[in-house]
Parts: sequence; C-alpha cells; structure tokens
Amino acid sequence: MRHPCEEEDGRLGGDREYWRRVSFRHRDTPENNPDTPFEFTPENLKRAKAIIGNYPLGHQAAAVIPLLDLAQRQHGWLPISAMHKVGEMLSVPRMRIYEVATFYTMFNRNPVGKYHLQVCTTSPCWLRGSDDIVNCIKKKLGIDVGQTTEDKIFTLHEVECLGACVNAPMVQINDDYYEDLSVKDMEEILDDLKSGRKPKPGPRNGRYASEPLAGLTSLKEEPYGPGFKVRSDL
Amino acid sequence: MAAPGAGVRLGGEFMRKVKPIFSSNEAEARQRVISLYKAWYRQIPYIVHEFDIPKSVRQCREKLKEEFVKNKDLKDVRIIDAKVIKGQMDLVETKKMWRQKHHVMNYFQDTRNKQPTDFLSKFYAGRE
Amino acid sequence: MTRCIQCTRCIRFASEVAGVDDLGTTGRGGDMQVGTYVEKMFASELSGNVIDICPVGALTSKPYAFTARPWETRKIESIDVLDAIGSNIVVTTRTGEVMRILPRMNEDINEEWISDKTRFAYDGLKRQRLTFPMVKDADGQLVPCDWEDALLVVSQKVKAAGGKVAAVAGGLCDAEALTAMKDLLNCLGSEAVCTEEIFPCDDMTGTDFRSNYLLNSTIARVEEADQILLVGTNPRFEAPLLNARIRKGWIHNEADVALIGKKVDLTYDYKHLGESGDILKELSVGKHPFWKTLQKATRPVVIVGSGILQRSDGPIILALAQALAEKLRQSSQGCTDVLTTTEIRLWCCTMDAMATVESNWRVLNVLHRVASQVAALDLGYKPGVDVIRKHPPKVLFLLGADENALTKQDIPKDTTVVYIGHHGDKGVEMADIVLPGAAYTEKQGTYVNTEGRAQQTLVAVTPPGMAREDWKIIRALSEIIGLRLPYETLKEVRERMREISPTLTRYGNAEEANYFKQALQLAQSLKGSLAPDSLSPRLLTLKDFYMTDSISRSSRIMARCVQAATQAMQSKY
Repeated sequence: MRHPCEEEDGRLGGDREYWRRVSFRHRDTPENNPDTPFEFTPENLKRAKAIIGNYPLGHQAAAVIPLLDLAQRQHGWLPISAMHKVGEMLSVPRMRIYEVATFYTMFNRNPVGKYHLQVCTTSPCWLRGSDDIVNCIKKKLGIDVGQTTEDKIFTLHEVECLGACVNAPMVQINDDYYEDLSVKDMEEILDDLKSGRKPKPGPRNGRYASEPLAGLTSLKEEPYGPGFKVRSDL
Repeated sequence: MAAPGAGVRLGGEFMRKVKPIFSSNEAEARQRVISLYKAWYRQIPYIVHEFDIPKSVRQCREKLKEEFVKNKDLKDVRIIDAKVIKGQMDLVETKKMWRQKHHVMNYFQDTRNKQPTDFLSKFYAGRE
Repeated sequence: MTRCIQCTRCIRFASEVAGVDDLGTTGRGGDMQVGTYVEKMFASELSGNVIDICPVGALTSKPYAFTARPWETRKIESIDVLDAIGSNIVVTTRTGEVMRILPRMNEDINEEWISDKTRFAYDGLKRQRLTFPMVKDADGQLVPCDWEDALLVVSQKVKAAGGKVAAVAGGLCDAEALTAMKDLLNCLGSEAVCTEEIFPCDDMTGTDFRSNYLLNSTIARVEEADQILLVGTNPRFEAPLLNARIRKGWIHNEADVALIGKKVDLTYDYKHLGESGDILKELSVGKHPFWKTLQKATRPVVIVGSGILQRSDGPIILALAQALAEKLRQSSQGCTDVLTTTEIRLWCCTMDAMATVESNWRVLNVLHRVASQVAALDLGYKPGVDVIRKHPPKVLFLLGADENALTKQDIPKDTTVVYIGHHGDKGVEMADIVLPGAAYTEKQGTYVNTEGRAQQTLVAVTPPGMAREDWKIIRALSEIIGLRLPYETLKEVRERMREISPTLTRYGNAEEANYFKQALQLAQSLKGSLAPDSLSPRLLTLKDFYMTDSISRSSRIMARCVQAATQAMQSKY
C-alpha cells in the first residue's frame, strides 16, 4: 500500500503527485481561489434550472452532483469558485458542496488538460499489459503520472477499475473508452488527438464492444418473440 | 415523687431531679471549689520552683484566679463537681511531677494569638 | 487529525446546534478527513463546545492544553455571569488559580452547552485585577494604602456629604452586594441607587411588576413556541444559549421566527419585518400584514431586547410590546373557560377564528444583557442614572460600574467617586478611592438570570491580594460611618434579601410572574412617540461578541478571538 504523504521536498515524484491530488485540503493558488472567475453560460444556466426543477421544493440539494458536473464540463475542471456558485444557487452550505466534490473522484479539483488520459491499472488490465500503455504515454508525451503537458493538452492519471475488464487494457479519455489497446494503438490515438482529430472510441482490434474476437459463441440466432415455448392455452 | 430525670416547674425555673456526683447542693459545691482553689494557691510556689517556669509566683496566682473566674457562671452542681474533679487530678499530677514544664506553661497560652471576633477585625484580617 | 475517529459529532454539532456549517468530512474511506477543507475558522459563538463533544482528543482546548492534569484540580460548581442567561458551570482550579471552565448540565437553562466567552474569558480574571485599596493623594495619583485608611477616608467624605450620596451598580454585581449598598444608602437618607443598564421606568411602565422585566416564558419553554417575534435584539450574541434554544425550536418544533431590527445572521431563517419601530406599533394594533400569522399561533413569544430599551423611547417600545403580547395572550376571550383539553384546543385551531393560547403561556419576554440587572430590579434599584444626573451627589459609589454610564463630565467636580469592583477598567479611571472587590469565581453570591431564576456562585478561589467580598466591604464601611448594617454573616444577608424579595433566595426556581393586564393598563396611559431610528442591537457580528464586560475585556484569549474573528470576516470564505 502506498503511503499518502504531503510535499516534503520540492521534487514531486509520481506517487507523491498522485496522493497530493487526492489530499483533501484546499489551499489557494493563483489559479484556484475564491476569485477565479466562474459563471454559468446562459445555456448552462437553462440546463441548471431544468436540473433543479427535477427535484421537489426543499430538496434542491439533490441537484449538487449534476450541477457540479455541469460546472466541470463548462470549465474543464472544478475551481473552488464554481463550488461556491453552485452552493449559492442551491442555498446549500459550502461545506456540503466541498464534501460532495471531494467524495467523488470524477470531480477534478485541480486543473486538467484538454484530454484527461485515465489509464486503468487494476489487476485484469495490468495482466493484459497496462504498464506498457502507461510507459508508452509517458515516453511519448514526456510527462509522468499525475502531470500535465506543457501545452496543457494532456493529463495522465492512473485510475482504478473502469469496468471494461473484458477489453483490457484500456484508457478513458474524457468521456470515451478506448479499449483492447496495444502500444501502437495508443500512439495512434495520441497522434490523432494532438492533430485535433477525434479517434474512434471503443475496442481497437475490430470487435464490437465485448463480443468474442473469434465470433459469437452464443446468441447466434434470431431472438425469440413473446410466447416462445409457452403453453398454448395460456 | 416524680421519676428521676422528670422535670418540674419550680419558681419560674425548670428543674429536674438528678443523681448527684459529689455535692448535693450549691453550698457543698462551693466548699469544694474553694478548697481546690486554696490547694492550688498553696502549691504554686513549689510549682514555680520545681518546674523552673519563667513566670513569677504572682503571675501564676493571677492566672489561677483567671481560670477559676472563667467558670463563675456555672449553675449546674454536677458540672461544677466534674470540673473540681478535673482540677484535683491536674493538681495531683502537677505535685507528683508526672507532668512536665510545657504542661504547666500551656495554661498561659503565650503564643496563641487571639482570633478576631468582631466583624471589622475579621474584615481587616481577611477572615470569614 | 491523528486522533480523529470520524465520529462526526463535531460536524453534527456545528450543523445542528451551532448552525454554522463550517466542518465536514472530505474524501472517503481510509482517507476521509474531518475539517474545514479550506483555511477557515469555525466562526461560531458556541465553537468551544466541540471540545466537550469530541470523544477522543482530536479537538482540544488550546488555552487549557498542557496546563494542568485533572487529578490535580478541584472542581467547584458555579454560575456564569458574563451574560444574563446564568449558565451552570464547573470552575476547575489548581493552587488557587482558575485553570478552565466547563459546562454543567441544566436542562432548563443551558442544556449542556456554554458560549465561548463563558468558557475562555477566565484568563481575564488574572489580569488587570485590583488587589489593594487605593486613595488619591494630593497630586491626584492613586496611591495604595490599607483598608483602615481607605475606609476612614470614605467614611469622612460620606459623613461630610450629608445624605447626598448615590450609587451605580454595574453588570457583574451579586445580589448581596446590591442589598448591602441599597441598605447603606437608604440609611444615609438617599434614594439614588441606580443601575447602569437602563430599563423603562416611568410611573407608567415600570419595574413594579416583575412580569415587565423578566423572560416570562422561561428559556426551556421558548423551545416549545411556534411563533417567535424578536424585537431589537440579536440573541445570537447577546444570549447564545437562548439562540440555541430558538434554533432547536426552529428545527424540531417548526417554530417560525420574525425579527424587527437590523438584519443579522441568526443561524436560522427568519422573516425580517424591517428595522423601524412603526412595525411594532402596527402589529400592536393589528394593522400590519404579519399580524395574521401571529394571531394564528398557539404559543407566540415576543422577545424584546434590553438594548433598545436603553433609548429615550424605550418606555413606548415596551408599552407597545406589552400591548401586542396581551392581545396575543387573550386572543380567544370567550373560549378560554371552556377549552381545557388539548383536543378542543386543536379543534379551535382548525376553525377560522383566532387560535387559543394556553392559559399559563406567557408571551411577553425581556432579554437582559447583564447578569445583575434582574436582581437589582427585584431589590428596588432605579434603572438608569438619570436620577443621579438630576441630583448630583457629593459621594458616588460605583459598584463595578464599567460601562461609563456616568462620566466625569456628568458629575460635579467636587464629587468623590468610590469604586468597589474587581477589575481596573473604565470605572477606576474616574475613581478617587478604589476598594478592591471579588470577581464571580471568588465569592458566594446570588445572581438572578433573565428568567428570574436565582442561582448562586460558589467560592472557587480566594480573592487576590487584599481584595474582599463586596458586601463585606459595604458592611465594614457602614460600621466605620457609624450606621452599622444589621447583618454580619452571609446567612444574615440572605435573610435580609429574603425579606425584600423571597424569590432571591429560592435557588433554582423560576417563579411565574403575573399582572400582565394591570401592567398594560398602566402602560397605556403613557404619552410619547417612537423615535425614527432603527431598532438595532449593539452586538451585530462575531467580533463584537467577545469583549462586553470588564472580565472579558482584560482577557488575552478574548483579544485573540476578536483578531481571529476580524480576519475571518475579511476572508473570502
């Protein structure tokens, strides 16, 4: 088990950077402080109102998670001023917003690049070679785990199981999964992203979702309709 | 005849019939007290000499009078008797040198400071 | 953080009782941390209670830490006098020094909480203390002397004054000292015994009826109220424990709160009716739109702050509040005889008519700001120093009077000012003779809280230096003057107090006061009008809360609290 540790020396290695990311204290930085400008765009405001309208009167606090997600999608990451804004909109005390934002790992409380590369390194993916994927990204982009590239395009993180174990190894970039990766695939994806093209999400080795590579071994026939093998007198 | 210990009103005062210790009336008690006083009075020069106390005979006799005058208001004969008995015991112990100098000097209470008793003195001294 | 077991007691206390949601759990699982997440102070006047709540030692008392071990200390049960609530405390002492103050459970008053000022102002008891009598010499400098000389000088001045003596009592005086002072002055032929804190006292509204100046629905029953109207008071900082009760009612019993006065953060939602006194006027005649809500309440409570009664239109405000309260109490004149069971009362509530109020429910309440006011009013002190201004005395006694109600300009130049108190605060600055008294932890004194409940403090430490208990100073003075007061022991003083007002010695009892109708009849013949100023209390923010009396003003811990609160106000969080 890795030990969480605060920054003791100036240089931060991979482990320390990871745990710094998950350290649950907010300290003001020039980028992330209560004065960081954040306002919902007019369309997002409409969306926010619709979200709040989903919940009964007096229960607006239920809209915290959707609104924080909306704020994160708008801004790229979640600054503390966005959390304050959401709290204001819902009349929820700020501490409750902080609690929610620190509970869920998908809320990025530190700046992330345009493409958030999240490589799954849990056992199934690791057995299938996720280390190679991580090393490939590290070499190609020149960053370590937890760091962002200079041009703020890519951020690399190692994350826990993303639920695509059949298609291991895989990587999640923003909202899409890129599965069944080989090192070459990874490099292609990165080149595509760098040049502004969107690579096709999903398995890279041609199969459809998690179907077997060698073809279907079940579900080969047409699906049964209702009434199949039911007694005729029912 | 009322039971012993029962009370009866006699001349405005409440009296009880009780068993006497030595004296049966005030006159006898008075006699005992005076003879005790005389015995102590006569013993004082020997006390001053034998115990070598730093008080003069005159001072001791004044102290003796003071001690007896302290109890001048006692009315109950049995209490007077009891005090006389105690005084007699003290005299015997003093005469036979069973006591020491400090026992005799205790009567004088030289080093005991008088506690303030009235409000103002207590206030200045910071006491209750 | 090492000792925290994440039981979340502190978080739940902050959120529910204190109403300030500054603490929370961040992260999850093994990495969960309890804290404020950002760099923020837990800015509540009840913040010290988390020290008692934390089952492990993650949250500890910073002033007390590492100063004493519990087995070395002695614990004495006492009462807090820094506000008018009279919270029950335990004073922990070691080698004649107060080490800390802890709360004692009292379901009727403070449950198990105490405010930060009560808890941490004890180090003010050790600073700025008067420890020897002082007399002004020919150069105008206060020079230490001993008791005989000081009392002699005072008695000479008093004898020369020929009856023109006056006394002003401050906020921290016990009832024994107040009794002795009044007796002495009355013996000298003077009626000018006043309190610093003003209370409306004309011939009309007055202190003759006890119900006029008490918190009549007691603190515990304020929780059961369903409609609370606060007039010119900020209970959050004037009486934090009352505020905690109102909040409790707001959460559990669906109480609705309305405020007339400056809009402040009370830790619960309330309807802000406005700042002007006209609103109270309109409510008392039933014209204001809010009257409809008030009249439907079965347990309405009107709390008037003592702060706004200090103004020149104080009697009018009190009269209006009395009128309003009486209207609410008698809102169903015909029904009260018949309706005795809860069921029938509830039926009545569903009718369109006005709701009934329980027959022993009291509506009018006055929230005092100082601990000695109710006892002084019970004993017959005149509230406010106008009497002294009108008839300037030759000798003026200041019994712990540190709020500068009377300054050097208000009294003639040749008046001798004698200060009897325990701290060198503003009163000593104008004094010619200083007689050191005892603070609340150093004497066995009776204090009556704002509900009229008499409680006694017990002696935890002895007064420092040559200080004596206040009533004893006055009794000694009386003996030297020649008018010896008839009591020498505490028991006899309390007998005297019992003669004047039996409630002063019935400790622990809050007696129900009556005569609301009669008081209202008297008040209605009052003439005058409301001033246009806003009904706003003096304590508005947390930084004003910490230093309100001579003990807390001398406390270093309170000074740091004020600093921290000022910084917290400027932070963006």
